[in-house]
Amino acid sequence: MAKWSRLLGTACLLGVLLMLTACGGGQSADGKVHIEFFQNKPEAKDSFDRLIAKFNEENPDIAVTQTNPPDAETVLMTRVVKEDVPDVIGMGATDTYSVLGQSGIFADLTGEPALDRINPRYVQMLTDLTGSKEITGIPYAANADGIMYNRKIFEQQNLEVPKTWSELMETAQKLKDAGITPFYLTYKDDWTSNLLFNALAPNIAGIDFFLERRDDKVTFEDPVMREVAEKALAVLPFGTNDNFGRTYADGNRAFANGEAAMYIQGSWAIPEIRKANANIDLGFFATPTVDDAEANKLVSGVDTLLAVSESTEHRAESLRFIEFLLQDENIAQYIKEQTAFAAVEGVDQNDPAVAELQPYFESGRLVDFADHYIPAAVQLNSMVQGFLQDGDVDAFLKRLDSEWTKVANRRS
Amino acid sequence: MVKRRAAFYWMTVPALLLFFVFHTFPALQGVFYSFTNWNGFAESYDFVGFKNYYYLFQDDNVGNAYWFTFKFAVVVTIVINVLSLLIAMGLNANIKARNFFRGVYFLPNILSVLIVGYIFNYLFSNVFTVWGQNLGLEALSTNLLGSQGLAWLGVVFVAVWQGIALNTILYLSGLQTIPTQLYEASGLDGANKWQEFWKITFPLIAPFFTINMVLAMKNALMVFDLIVALTNGGPGRATQSISHLIYTGGFEGGEFAYQSANSVIYFIVIAVISIVQIRYLQRRETDM
Repeated sequence: MAKWSRLLGTACLLGVLLMLTACGGGQSADGKVHIEFFQNKPEAKDSFDRLIAKFNEENPDIAVTQTNPPDAETVLMTRVVKEDVPDVIGMGATDTYSVLGQSGIFADLTGEPALDRINPRYVQMLTDLTGSKEITGIPYAANADGIMYNRKIFEQQNLEVPKTWSELMETAQKLKDAGITPFYLTYKDDWTSNLLFNALAPNIAGIDFFLERRDDKVTFEDPVMREVAEKALAVLPFGTNDNFGRTYADGNRAFANGEAAMYIQGSWAIPEIRKANANIDLGFFATPTVDDAEANKLVSGVDTLLAVSESTEHRAESLRFIEFLLQDENIAQYIKEQTAFAAVEGVDQNDPAVAELQPYFESGRLVDFADHYIPAAVQLNSMVQGFLQDGDVDAFLKRLDSEWTKVANRRS
Repeated sequence: MVKRRAAFYWMTVPALLLFFVFHTFPALQGVFYSFTNWNGFAESYDFVGFKNYYYLFQDDNVGNAYWFTFKFAVVVTIVINVLSLLIAMGLNANIKARNFFRGVYFLPNILSVLIVGYIFNYLFSNVFTVWGQNLGLEALSTNLLGSQGLAWLGVVFVAVWQGIALNTILYLSGLQTIPTQLYEASGLDGANKWQEFWKITFPLIAPFFTINMVLAMKNALMVFDLIVALTNGGPGRATQSISHLIYTGGFEGGEFAYQSANSVIYFIVIAVISIVQIRYLQRRETDM
C-alpha cells in the first residue's frame, strides 16, 4: 500500500514536471536559432511576413517567426506576466511601452550601431515618454493621426482642404447641405472615438498640460480642455445616422466606396481602405484644430518601435534581425506597403495620398498623441466613447480628473 | 482489496493533483498578490495590506460592473430557464422530425462563444439595422449595441440564444424520467394541461430545475468572451462585466494586484450565491 502510493506520487509529480518543461521550450532540433517576433499591427502582418521570409532565406542559421494576435498589447502583458517575453517586440510608443520599459522588460540598446541611422527626433520621443535616458526601443515607423478625404467628392463640390477649425466646420456644413455624409464616424470601437481627442488635445492644450497634470499643477476642468471636449462633440451632427453603431472595419469599407467625404483616422488605415477599393483617390490632411493655420501641428507618433527582450538568450541574433529590417530597401518596402513614415533618415514616403503631410515632417511641426501621456489604467478610450454619447462636458472633465487621481493613488 | 483501492486512487489522485497545481495554487497566488502593489511584471513589489480593497470599495467602475453583471445574470437566468423549459416540452411531445429539431436546438451549444459573438456583432450592425429601416422601427434602425442604454439587451439576446441549448437538453432528459403512467392517471382524473404541468411535470423535474438555475446563473455571472466579441464593454462602460473589468484593468491597465483584489471579492460573492442557490432550491426539491 505504502509502495503504491509512493509510486503514484512520483508518477504524478513527473507528469506535472514534464508538462511544465514542455512549455519552457528548449534547444531546437534543426540547429537553428529560433526568434519570435511579436508585433501589434494586424494591418502589417503580411508586410512583415514578406520581410521575415527574405531574412530567413539570407540567414540560414536563424528562423524568425511572427506572432500577431488581436488586442496585442494586452496579450503582450499576459505574456510578460507568464515570464514568456518574445525575443523581438514591435509595438507603438504607448503608455504600455513606457510601463514595460520602466519595469526592465526591454534590453538597454543605448549605443547600438542600429540607432545611428535613426532620426534623433523619434529617439527623443521615446525617451520623453519613458522619462529615462536608457534607450529601450529603436523607432522604426511613424504614423499620422488626421483626416482623410475623398478627392473626387471634394472636386465635385468645389471644396478646398480646410486649414482652420472654422473652415473644417464650414466644409462639413456644405457637404451636409449637398446631401453627402461629411464624416464617417466609427465610434462603436472606442479607440476610434479617441482619435479626434488625440488630435485636438496636443494642439489646443499641449503635451505639457499632461506632464503638468502628472505633478497636480493643473486639472482637466481647465478652459483649454473644455475647448477640446466641445470640439470633439461638434463633429457628431456631421456623421452618419448611426455614429456609435459602426466599427473601424465598417468605416474602412464605407469610406473606400465613397459613402462619406471625410474619415477621421490614422495613416495606418490607408492600406486597409485600398484593399476595399484599390482605385480610391484619397488625400490626408492634418486635423485643423485651431483657427491659426500656422500654429497647427500634425499629430504623429512612433507607430512601431523595435525592442529586444531583456531575458532573451539570443540578443545578437535579435539585433541582426532588427538591423535587417532597418536596411534602406527593407524599410522602404515596409513604409510603402503601410503608408507609414520611416524613422530612418533619408527614406521618404512618396505616396500621393499623404503628400500633403510631407511639409509637416520636413519642418518638424509634429506633436505626439495625447494618450501616450495618459496612464493606460485611466481607460481614456472608453471614457471618451461614453462622453461622446451622453454629451456632458462637465461630467467628462470631472471624470477625467477623478479617474486620474484614483489611478495615481493606487499606483503610489 | 488493496489492489482495488489502488485503482481508485489512480482514478482520483492525478486529477486532484493537476487541479491543485493548475487551479487552486494560482488562485491562492492571486489572493497573495492582492495584498501587494505588483503590476504583473515588475521585478519587485511591496506589501500594502488592505489598500487595494480600500480603493476597490470606492471605485465606481467596480460598482458599475457589478450592477451590469447582476442585472444581466438575473435576466438571462430567468429568460433562459423559461424558454428552454418550453422548448424542451415541445421537443418531448410527439411531434414529427423530433430528433431533427433536437439537433437543431442543440446546435448553438457546440459553436464557440466568440464565433457566435462576432457573427451577431455583424448581424446587429449590418442586418438588423436594415430590417429596422425597412420596417420603419426607430429603435432597430441603428445598431442596438452602440447605444449606452440598450446595448445590454443586445448582449442578453445573444447570451440567451446560445444558452438555451444546454438547458433545453438538461430539461429534456428530466422530462424523460417522468413515467407516462402519471399522465394517464391524471388524465383519467380529469386534470387539465395546466394542472398537469404544475402538479406533475414541474415537481418531478425539480432537480433539473435546480441544476439549470445554478448553471445558467453561474455562466451569466462569469460572462466574458461574449462581451469581448460584442461590445468590448462599451459604449463607455455600459456593458462591462466584472470579469471584463478584471481582465482589462489588470492587464491593459497594468493594475494586476488591484484587480486581483477585485477577483478575490468576486470569488467570495459567486461562492456565496451558489451555496445559497443550491441550499434553497434543494430544500424546495424535497418539499415537493
